[in-house]
Amino acid sequence: MGFLLECPNCGKRDVYEFRFGGEAHRRPRVNSSSEEWMKYVYMRENVAGVQQEWWFHRLGCHKWFLAIRDTRDNSVMRTFWMGEELV
Amino acid sequence: MEGARPTNSEERDGRSKEPSPSELLDRSKMLNFEFNGRRMSAFEGDTVASALYASGVRIFSRSFKYHRPRGLLCVSGRCPNCLMSVDGVPNVKACTERVRAGMKVKSQNCWPSLEHDIFSVIDKIGRFLPVGFYYKTFINPPIEWSRVEWIIRRLTGLGDIEEEIASATGKGPKDGRSIISSSFEHLNLQADVAVIGGGPCGIFAALEAGNAGARVVLVDDQPALGGHLRYSGETLSIDVATGEGAYSGLKSSAVASTLEKAVRDRPNMTVLDNSTAFGIYESNLIGIVRGNSEIRLRAEQLVFATGAHEFPSVFQNNDLPEVFLGRGMQRLINLYGVIPGKRAVVVSNNDSGLGVARTLMDAGVKLEAYIDSRKAVGAPETLAEIEDAKVQTFLGWAVKEARGSKHVSSIVICEVDNEGELVHGTERVVSCDLVSLSTGFETEAWLLNQTGSRTIYDELLREFIPRELKPTVYVCGDLTGIHDLNIAIMQGKVAGLSAAANLPAMARSTELKVEYQRKSLETYSRLVSQYEGKYREGMKHTRGPEVLVVEYPGSDKMRKRFVCVCEDVVAKDISLATFEGFDDIETLKRYSTVTMGPCQGKMCSMPSLHLCSRVTGRSIAQTGRTVSRPPFVPVAMGALAGAELHPVKLTGIHYKHIELGARIMDMGEWKRPHVYTSVEEEYKAVRESVGVIDVSTLGRLDVKGRDAGKLLDFVYTHIFSTLKVGKSRYGVICDDAGIVLDDGTVTRLSETHYFITTTTGNVEFVEEWLVWWATALRLDAYITNVTAGLGAVNVAGPKARDLLRKLTTVDLSSGAFPYMNSAEGEVAGVPCILLRIGFVGETGWEIHFPAEFGEYFWDTLLEAGKEFGVKPFGVETQRVLRLEKKHVIVGQDTDALSNPFEADMAWTVKFEKEDFVGKAALVAAEKKEPERMLVGFVMKDSMVAHDGDQVFSQDGSRHIGFVTSSRFSPKVGRCVGMALVSPEYYKEGSLIRVKSDDALNGAEVTLAPFYDPEGKRLRA
Repeated sequence: MGFLLECPNCGKRDVYEFRFGGEAHRRPRVNSSSEEWMKYVYMRENVAGVQQEWWFHRLGCHKWFLAIRDTRDNSVMRTFWMGEELV
Repeated sequence: MEGARPTNSEERDGRSKEPSPSELLDRSKMLNFEFNGRRMSAFEGDTVASALYASGVRIFSRSFKYHRPRGLLCVSGRCPNCLMSVDGVPNVKACTERVRAGMKVKSQNCWPSLEHDIFSVIDKIGRFLPVGFYYKTFINPPIEWSRVEWIIRRLTGLGDIEEEIASATGKGPKDGRSIISSSFEHLNLQADVAVIGGGPCGIFAALEAGNAGARVVLVDDQPALGGHLRYSGETLSIDVATGEGAYSGLKSSAVASTLEKAVRDRPNMTVLDNSTAFGIYESNLIGIVRGNSEIRLRAEQLVFATGAHEFPSVFQNNDLPEVFLGRGMQRLINLYGVIPGKRAVVVSNNDSGLGVARTLMDAGVKLEAYIDSRKAVGAPETLAEIEDAKVQTFLGWAVKEARGSKHVSSIVICEVDNEGELVHGTERVVSCDLVSLSTGFETEAWLLNQTGSRTIYDELLREFIPRELKPTVYVCGDLTGIHDLNIAIMQGKVAGLSAAANLPAMARSTELKVEYQRKSLETYSRLVSQYEGKYREGMKHTRGPEVLVVEYPGSDKMRKRFVCVCEDVVAKDISLATFEGFDDIETLKRYSTVTMGPCQGKMCSMPSLHLCSRVTGRSIAQTGRTVSRPPFVPVAMGALAGAELHPVKLTGIHYKHIELGARIMDMGEWKRPHVYTSVEEEYKAVRESVGVIDVSTLGRLDVKGRDAGKLLDFVYTHIFSTLKVGKSRYGVICDDAGIVLDDGTVTRLSETHYFITTTTGNVEFVEEWLVWWATALRLDAYITNVTAGLGAVNVAGPKARDLLRKLTTVDLSSGAFPYMNSAEGEVAGVPCILLRIGFVGETGWEIHFPAEFGEYFWDTLLEAGKEFGVKPFGVETQRVLRLEKKHVIVGQDTDALSNPFEADMAWTVKFEKEDFVGKAALVAAEKKEPERMLVGFVMKDSMVAHDGDQVFSQDGSRHIGFVTSSRFSPKVGRCVGMALVSPEYYKEGSLIRVKSDDALNGAEVTLAPFYDPEGKRLRA
């Protein structure tokens, strides 16, 4: 694995500069059912396709951002800040 | 001598008398090396193979399965025939490995010698080893596997790793060259345009891209650039239209040198010679291996000029030594000045065979015959020259078999009919000692395919040619299936110009120069398609029937038609496997192991494809090729792993600890003093007077912003927004599963400014965690990791206040500065944050200060504390001290399943908060009986327990948990500890047993701290 990822702050960098933060999901409300919480905490979609995910620029600006990536070929369609698009 | 022909003065006779201008040798410098214990000589610039061949060696290896003798074939690192052990490193390709003085070369896979290998008896019983032998024999085996395994293990495999280990451990040859003992490194490079392949088209692509202003890296696996121009020995004929007409009429090797110099002289060009690109990864990352280095090249644009390689056609005994590939023969003659034999035969089905015939004649080798399966050739003038030299030419003929036992002594040829089958009864025998095969090119498209670009089979060119190229990918030269220098030059220019034009900077440019380049690109593109059209027309006229695998009435009896020389797969194996139902090219590969050997299909892909297609009746295009994955060539694990680099973090006081004679231990990336003198002495100082410990390794985070308190309320289980300025509070961080992730103190320095400490080694994680929640919740909170910038010392003990009073004006009295309070002020003139906390259970201050004052601060503390008997204490003493207080270390006394309730820290969880990370899970956990509880225990008598010991019920019948920490407590006078046990044991006085050193020792559960349970001392 060695694709490039565009940090909205620092530009295109080697993926090894980043920490993968997993699939982006909406966190349930505190009084949601335990099934919903179980799903949020333990279950992942693990899609073969396009997903929205978190990345942290560990060796750069120390900012979290979101990326839309195809898990099949690691092509990254978009990277953006939280709030620029709904999670 | 092994493998050598018993003739006199071979060493001198093996070379041409006059050095040729294309030679890579320096004949004035002689080198000596060892081959199978014998001293051999070589010229500077020789490869192991060229030196050995010139000295008369003909057998270079024994084959994998049948132990048949094998000689040089490709002479370019593409085939498996010359794998040898060099200085203990197995499977080195002798044909690309340069000779170094004193190197030790050994043959592999033979016993007792290359010339006489007793295992070659397998060749005689080969009929009992059919394709799929293992599957057929060892599934429901008639013989028990364990009985035969040792024999089969001995007979199979290539090379000897033992020898390599021996050389690495100093029990074998060692001159710094062993793969293990030598150093590996990684290199990262970036380029606008990467050109893979340094033949003529690659060079022109690089030059054009370079002219356009691109930063270019040119990668080539040979020692000298120029591709086949280096060794073809031809006089070039180049059209003016290519823009390079000036090179016409010159010797190809001279042009190669000129072009190489042109590339090397250019400032924006990096040439990586002797470097093999072995894989193309995402975002145009190219993996390159160069000796022991792995180079990672990232390029915007990729030009593939990887060319094509030859492969042998398949006939009886086609694997005999001295049956060469044509270009391999040319390399040996023109690059290394070797005279490969005395009487040669050239077998061809394309025009490159004519060039080989010329090379042989120029070198003074007698050409016995020129055999071509075509009825007409593309270069009739060269054919005429050959005929003029009184060489017999056979057009429309092909080879049926080679004869000889360990060396080729003659070949049998037959006429070919229109279907490509040999005509029965037309056999003729031609005596010779050298056979050169120009029987087909296969485009080197493996790397190209890894970009996701496709190749399709071209029925006219009979090669797989690139189609549907991915963006940023360009191809040129032999890789396109067209073998014509004029076209290659122009294709190279088109590729280089296109690559440069598509660079973001160039695409926008309107400079005159760029405009001019766009014009040239148009012109050359047009010319290339014109020339290609003509080339294809020509092919239609000269193309004959294809004779890749000879078929002959009864040819199924010809058992020694080798398709794959790596794994010893013969034509019959492929036919049989296909017949048995493995008729998909991918299943055929796995079942017969064809294309799975060291050469990874370079020699056998096309012939096996042809055989499969013939048996199934499907076309080549329908049959398709197997998927190619990295690596393109075998790459040493060490090169991929790189050098062993471990970052080390030292505190600002580190060298003072060394001066004091501390025993240093690793703690993650940090180095910390384990103990200075003895735990007893250091313990006594802290408990009775005062001790100091360097705690600079604690993680420190600065959290600022309007929402800082809100963020901490959400991330920690405790509440911090209500914390008064100047106060500190212990806090625990959980995840949404309620698992404890970290702990530490949070100090409020102002309304909008908090100072956090984290566990040593966990600060990066906590920072990421806090930043993530601040981002996700869109809070006005900014987190800065200040760990490296701050040193920290904990001053603890009944005399700590007396010591610090000498150095600061900050009021340290309990009234003004009570437990869990903080202050900012100067100590010894250094600006500090002082936290009144008590990890070790005594009156104490954790003092954070700018790291650069570390040594001064430390020295000043020790000096000022002399009158109180101050002692520095290490991590081990601190562990004993904190264990007596039952202070938990996250990660030591908790694990990946611990929630705060289990860790006996229910008091840190504040459910009155509306929401926080882990709340939902902890609400649920609180309602349930915990699965384990953290308890303290005291060992009975003088028994000891260790971290990780297992804990059992009193009667020893039930396993109930494990010890998380355990030390001898000077206070209690016995061994104390903490353990995670079944919750029914969470009761003062419960009796448990700790299994230590194979004995079940009694212990008693204690819920309160072992030392100062009311916490009076740390508040004093």
